[in-house]
Amino acid sequence: MNWPRIRELVRKEFIQLLRDKRNRAVLFVAPIIQMLVFGYVVNYDIRTIRVAVIDYSRTVESRKLMDAFEGSRIFSITHYLNDEKKFEDLLIRGSVDMGIKIPQDFASVIRRGQTAPLQIVADGSMSNMASLRMAYTTSVLEQFNRGMLRELYPQQMKYGRIDMRIRTWYNPNLESQHFFVPGIVAFVIMLISLLLTSIAIIREKEAGTMEQIIVTPLKSYEFILGKTIPYTIISLLQLIVVIIVATYWFEIPLVGSVSLLFFSACLFLLSTLGIGLFISTISRTQQQAMMMTFFFILPFFMLSGFVFPIANMPEVVQWLSYLNPLRYFLVILRGIFLKGVGLDVLWPQCLSLAILGTVVFWGAIVRFKKRLD
Amino acid sequence: MNSLRLKAIVQKEFYHLIRDYRSLYLAFAIPLILIILFGYALSLDVDHIKTVVIDYDKSWQSRDFTTKLNASPYFDVVAELDSSRQVADYIDHDRASVAIHIPPDFMKNVRADREAQMQIIIDGSDPIFAGAVRGYLTAFAELYNSKLLLSFLNRQGQATIKTPVEGRIRIWFNEDLESRNFIIPGIIAIIIMIVGAMLTSLVIAREYEDGTMETIKSLPVHAGELLLGKSIPYFFIGLANVLIAMLLGQLLFGIVLKGNFWLMLIATSLYLICALSLGLFISSVTKSQLIANQAAIMFTYLPSLLLSNFVFPIINMPQALQWITYVVPARYYIDILVGLYLRDTGLTYLGPNMIVLGVMCVVMTGLNYVLLKKEGL
Amino acid sequence: MTLSPSESISVSQLEKKFGKFVAVNKITFSVKKGEIFGFLGSNGSGKSTTIRMLCGIITPTSGTGMVAGYDITTQTEEIKQSIGYMSQKFSLYEDLTPYENVRFYLGIYNVPQDQWPQRIDWILNMTHLQDVRHRLTRELPPGWRQRLALGCALLHRPQILFLDEPTSGVDPVTRQHFWSFIRRLAADGVTVFVTTHYMDEALFCERLVMINAGSIVASGSPSEIIAQACPDKPDADLNDAFVSLMKRMPD
Repeated sequence: MNWPRIRELVRKEFIQLLRDKRNRAVLFVAPIIQMLVFGYVVNYDIRTIRVAVIDYSRTVESRKLMDAFEGSRIFSITHYLNDEKKFEDLLIRGSVDMGIKIPQDFASVIRRGQTAPLQIVADGSMSNMASLRMAYTTSVLEQFNRGMLRELYPQQMKYGRIDMRIRTWYNPNLESQHFFVPGIVAFVIMLISLLLTSIAIIREKEAGTMEQIIVTPLKSYEFILGKTIPYTIISLLQLIVVIIVATYWFEIPLVGSVSLLFFSACLFLLSTLGIGLFISTISRTQQQAMMMTFFFILPFFMLSGFVFPIANMPEVVQWLSYLNPLRYFLVILRGIFLKGVGLDVLWPQCLSLAILGTVVFWGAIVRFKKRLD
Repeated sequence: MNSLRLKAIVQKEFYHLIRDYRSLYLAFAIPLILIILFGYALSLDVDHIKTVVIDYDKSWQSRDFTTKLNASPYFDVVAELDSSRQVADYIDHDRASVAIHIPPDFMKNVRADREAQMQIIIDGSDPIFAGAVRGYLTAFAELYNSKLLLSFLNRQGQATIKTPVEGRIRIWFNEDLESRNFIIPGIIAIIIMIVGAMLTSLVIAREYEDGTMETIKSLPVHAGELLLGKSIPYFFIGLANVLIAMLLGQLLFGIVLKGNFWLMLIATSLYLICALSLGLFISSVTKSQLIANQAAIMFTYLPSLLLSNFVFPIINMPQALQWITYVVPARYYIDILVGLYLRDTGLTYLGPNMIVLGVMCVVMTGLNYVLLKKEGL
Repeated sequence: MTLSPSESISVSQLEKKFGKFVAVNKITFSVKKGEIFGFLGSNGSGKSTTIRMLCGIITPTSGTGMVAGYDITTQTEEIKQSIGYMSQKFSLYEDLTPYENVRFYLGIYNVPQDQWPQRIDWILNMTHLQDVRHRLTRELPPGWRQRLALGCALLHRPQILFLDEPTSGVDPVTRQHFWSFIRRLAADGVTVFVTTHYMDEALFCERLVMINAGSIVASGSPSEIIAQACPDKPDADLNDAFVSLMKRMPD
């Protein structure tokens, strides 16, 4: 292992990378921006449900119904209408999430002890939100029902009912950010290490400087090390930046061991750098490298359990996700950040990363050597 | 504008593309992968929530509860456990997300008109999922309680009492409540950004790096001709991609365009032009492929994914981010796509969105023109 | 195969085939130590392929060769350490300064670190780039970049210098300086193996080999070759010889 040689290679790479002011900015500002945006964007909690109401009844009872909705913190009646057309229009425009039509005989039917049908139209466009809205609607309606029944039949109202005491394991406050921010950390690191490594090698090809390198006694593994070490260092530096944002801005707790975090990050980088290396052997131009990076990152990202739970996916896809280094790194990150677990719990993931990384990196080197010769 | 020169530029760009066949393959492969991935693998819908029940009561009431729970489309009772010690095992291994403990005196309490507590554990690892689960559980509890109240009243002698209000919920737009139905059309917006903006973001930067831009500046080429010439091949590739995506969506997933095809074409073209202009802008400003690459990802791809209402609802975002979404072209295009695919709306609704896109096109093109002119074209 | 002590390069029946295409057709020649040796041929004649084999970049299909005392098939590492190469197209790092480029190659060639300061000064002085040592290479005029490339090919004191069309695109004054520099190097014992299209430069070479379609069509000193190629033209120059030889098919 010729250290002076490798040192010079790494030094050259750093000079090239950091010389351009803009590059420096992009390398360290981009992850921060990505963190901030991702951190605030991924949020499916229902904050408000906008409702339009046509009240044909205009009675005390219909008033009570609307109060029931308004009374919950989630529903907000934004439009009181008379016009069916406007009703439809609001839904089509997406200005309201739900529309309720209270029939004319609402009060009389209820007072008679019969069931009054309530026409509710819900915008199903974003189906996951729609389903949840319906659940909330059901809750409000049923509470109204019981209140109404109490009014109609004011006897001793201690009836047997269930009381759900719900406890949440892991992440008791259900903070979305606590869940996602570790994932964003992984994503940011992956993107850079993959993209920059492959581009770094291709740039030498495109610039023609490979010509000169070939005639020197430089060995291919030395060349590879000279290319991967700088990006490992940069990725780890970005990791630091990103962790600072996570802990200080998003106030994500970092309960576990920081050194384990960096150790597993290095294992993770084995895979990503290997893939970057591989991409450099199948691309001839920077454009191709970029597209290829995308080609890999998209599935890795989507099928990692970062935003979309793996358990929800079809069997085949779940099996495939075992080949995804991001999947393991995510578990490790969440474990270290949120649960504070150590190697004793996370060793399967670390091992998987190590194996995956070694295989990928080795394979990439073999392929690279063949191409170089 | 000289049509002969324009043709020459377009031709050169086409040659570049075709000779760089790998990029071309990828330009089509990536959209394909996206559609298949998102279509098959991703579902945002929460249903068939795996539930385990620990029934210490084993009474008629507890059976009734469990059966009704299982009957709901949202819950799937996968196992009835004997002891709560097995719960951790199920939850940690993702075999269940909810564990319901029915206490031993459940039915007794209900019959005695007392409150019957149930301990429920939700796996909070995925907060989105957990939030939804909580919502559904609560709704189910409310429903069940209303039924209990009714039967209580019935027992009191009011045999004919019915529930006062029954919600007849109809779903408009996306009646089968499949997340796929809004995800797949939305992918089109992302595909266009990838092909339209990310690809073009390199083309001008590359010329600067190769030094060929110098040559071009010395030729009698107008800025407009260069912009147009560079855009045209990618425009057609983008359009081809969209058509393929639409076809795939229809063939593989049965997702059909409800609105007017020509409106779709026009809106898509407008959005494409926005994307292309954005890419060219990044290219001209950065003059470096390395930086253009990363800038393209940050300013074209990520916003179209995150800030466009594609899967992450804008109304849930903090105000500051919501304001930013107003300058993201993808936001308007996704709105149009939802309108055309799910809501079957017409020009009155789509019009304003298209106008905004149109304005963005003009602004971006103008910026590009000015930029190139400044460089001496 | 061994080199005689006065030879620095020797090849015998060197052949390179790419599939069915014969790029280099069993050629044999040798170069003396400290010689300025010219390797001439039109584009596509097998010139570049031969050089690549001599530099240990590609392996011959058949035949043997020794460069700087090492076998070109089995000892490519050693060869690379002993030669310097300057390619036709500028292939150093344009976004690095001359100082950074020199330092980089010093590291690559494993020159002991304690010698670096003197080496760096030596090279920068020799190439007259001391004043611009910290300017980006891409900002330097082409002639200066050429000098840098030459400097980087020499910084590890190689025995043999391979120059592939080193003076293309360079003005006549700079060319003259270049060649006087080369002659000084040769006088110091460095073997210079050069290819060029400039016939007036080829005259500076002590011996030449002309290659066409993979085979050697002439070899010897410039005057010998002229006499051989254009026997009936008394005031023929190398240009005429070249043209006449390239027309002929090799036997």
